[in-house]
Amino acid sequence: MSAILRIAELSKAFNGVRAVQNASFEVEQGSITGLIGPNGSGKSTTIDCISGFQRLDAGRIELGGQNITNISAATVARAGLIRTFQNVRVYDSYNLLDNLLVADASFRGLNWFDVLVRTPAFRGISAAAEDRARELIELVGLTRLIDAPATVLSYGQKKLLAFAAAMMARPRLIILDEPVAGVNPTRVNEVADILRKANVAGISFLIVEHNVEFINSLCHKVIVFEQGSKLTEGTPEAVSNDPRVLDAYLGIAPKPEALPAEAT
Amino acid sequence: MTQPRWTLAAVLAAIIFLLCLPLLTGSDYFIGIAISGLIFLTAAAALNLVYGYAGLLSFAQLGFWGVGGYCSALAVMDFGWSFWAGVLFAGIVNLLLAIGIGIPIIRTTRHAFVVVTLTFALLAGLIARDWVDVTRGPLGIPGLPAPSLMGFSFSTSARFYYIALVFALIALAFLYSLKTSRIGLVLKAIRQNDPLVESQGISPAPYKLAAFVIAAVVTGMAGAIYAFHLKIIDPSFLDFYYMQTFLIIVIIGGAGSFWAVVLAGAAMVVLPEALRFSDELRMVIYGVVLVAVMMFMPSGISGWLENRRIAALRKALR
Repeated sequence: MSAILRIAELSKAFNGVRAVQNASFEVEQGSITGLIGPNGSGKSTTIDCISGFQRLDAGRIELGGQNITNISAATVARAGLIRTFQNVRVYDSYNLLDNLLVADASFRGLNWFDVLVRTPAFRGISAAAEDRARELIELVGLTRLIDAPATVLSYGQKKLLAFAAAMMARPRLIILDEPVAGVNPTRVNEVADILRKANVAGISFLIVEHNVEFINSLCHKVIVFEQGSKLTEGTPEAVSNDPRVLDAYLGIAPKPEALPAEAT
Repeated sequence: MTQPRWTLAAVLAAIIFLLCLPLLTGSDYFIGIAISGLIFLTAAAALNLVYGYAGLLSFAQLGFWGVGGYCSALAVMDFGWSFWAGVLFAGIVNLLLAIGIGIPIIRTTRHAFVVVTLTFALLAGLIARDWVDVTRGPLGIPGLPAPSLMGFSFSTSARFYYIALVFALIALAFLYSLKTSRIGLVLKAIRQNDPLVESQGISPAPYKLAAFVIAAVVTGMAGAIYAFHLKIIDPSFLDFYYMQTFLIIVIIGGAGSFWAVVLAGAAMVVLPEALRFSDELRMVIYGVVLVAVMMFMPSGISGWLENRRIAALRKALR
C-alpha cells in the first residue's frame, strides 16, 4: 500500500521545550489510522504542524507524494487534507446548512464576478452544494436541526457537524482531533459506522482519540506517541498488548517475568 | 438571520417615501437632515462591512471620509473638474490608498489593526491642518460650488438631496448584494472563526482586504458628496464626531446585520431632531437612550433579537 501522508523526522519546539522530536510515521492510502498517546505527548502539535497551523523546526511532510511542508493552512486544505479541532469549531451563528456551504470545495474554481452576479455557473454549483450538504447532515443525523443556528447544538452534535463540514470539503485525508470526546456514549458506535462508510467511499483518516475502544474497533493501524516521538506502531491488538504502551500511559510497566502465569 | 417576508414591501415603501420627501416638506432644514442621514447611513453601512462582516474594527473610515472630501473639493477648486469627476476621483484615490494600507495591516492582530487604522485617521487630520499649501490649513476651502449636470444646477437643498439619495441607494444595493452573496457568507464566517475558515481551504486575507477596500471607496465617495453639501471643507471634516456617528449606528443596530444597521442609521439621525421639543434635555435624553441600549442590548438590536430567538429555540429543543 502506498502512503497518503508521510511524516519524516518532524521536530517542533516551543521556547526551547521540545514538543515533537524526530517523529516519523505514515498513513496508508485508504486506511483509518489511529494516533494515541498520553497528554502532552505531542499529538496535537504534530497535527497542527501537518495541517499548516504551526511551522515545523525540521522535517518533511508529504501528502500523496506532494511536499506540503510549511505551507499555509488554507493551501494544505486545498491540497486535500482537512482537519477538525479538539475544541470543536463551528460557525455558531450560522445554521447547519450554511456551516457546510462555507466549507464546500466546489466554489473554489469560481471568480468573484460569478459569485457577485450569481451567473448560471454559480447557481449550478450552489444547487449541487446544497443537495450535498443536506445529504451529509442526514448522514450525521442532524436533519431535524438543519435550520437552527449551530450555537444551539450540544458539544457532541457540534463534533458531528464539524465532521460533516470536513466531508463537505471533499478531502483525500481527514485528520480528526478527538471526534468522540463529549459525544453521547450511545452514539459512539454510530460515529464509527459513519467513519467506516466514508472510508469505504475512499477517504483516508488519521484519528487522534483517547477512547481506546473506539480506536481499536475502527483502526487498521495505531501509532503511539510518547514524549514527542513515536513509541511504536502496529495493529490495535499488537499495540494494546505492548508493555511499553502501558508504561507510557500508566508509568508502571509490569515486567514480563513478574507477571502471573495466567496473565501472559 | 432570516428576514421577515415583508422586507421587500417595506424597502419599496421607504424608497417611494424618500423620493417624495422634498414634495412633503419645503423646509431646507429638514431636507438638510435627510441628506446628512442618507450619507451617514451609507458610511455606516460601509463600516458595517469591515467591522460587522470582516470583524475588523477600522477607524481608518474617518481618514477615508476626509480624504474623499478633500479630493473632491481640490479636484473641483484646483483642477477645475466637475463635481462628478471629483467624486469619482475621491473613489479612485481611496481605492489605491486602501490597497496600499490594507495589504500590510490586514495580517496584523486585531489590536494592532485598531491602532494602525486610528493612527491613519489622526494622520489624515494632521495633514488637513498642516499641509497648508494644498489643503489651505485651518481656513479650509470655502465656497464649493453646487454640482450641475448638462446645464441643470443642483443649487437647492431639495435638488442636492436627490444626489445623496441616488448615491445612497446605489451604494446600499451594492453592499446588500455583497452581503447576501457567498462573499458575505465567507466574510462573516471569518469573523466568527478565522482558523476554521483557513482549515477549510479559504485564505481570509483577500476577503478582508476586499472588505476594507470596498468600504474605503464607499466612505470616500460619501465624504466627497457630504463636503459639497456643507459647501466648505476644513480640518473639522476629520473630527472624531463623524467616526463616532458611524460607529454608534453600527453598534446600536448590531454589527453584521444589514437591515438593523440601516434602521438604526435612520433612527439615530431622526432621534436628536425629534428630541428638539426640549432643547435643554435633548442631548441628555439622546445620551440616556444610547447608554440604555448598550446596557440592555450589548450586541445591538439585531443581536438582542437573535439571542431571544436562540433562547426560544433552546427551550423548544429541551
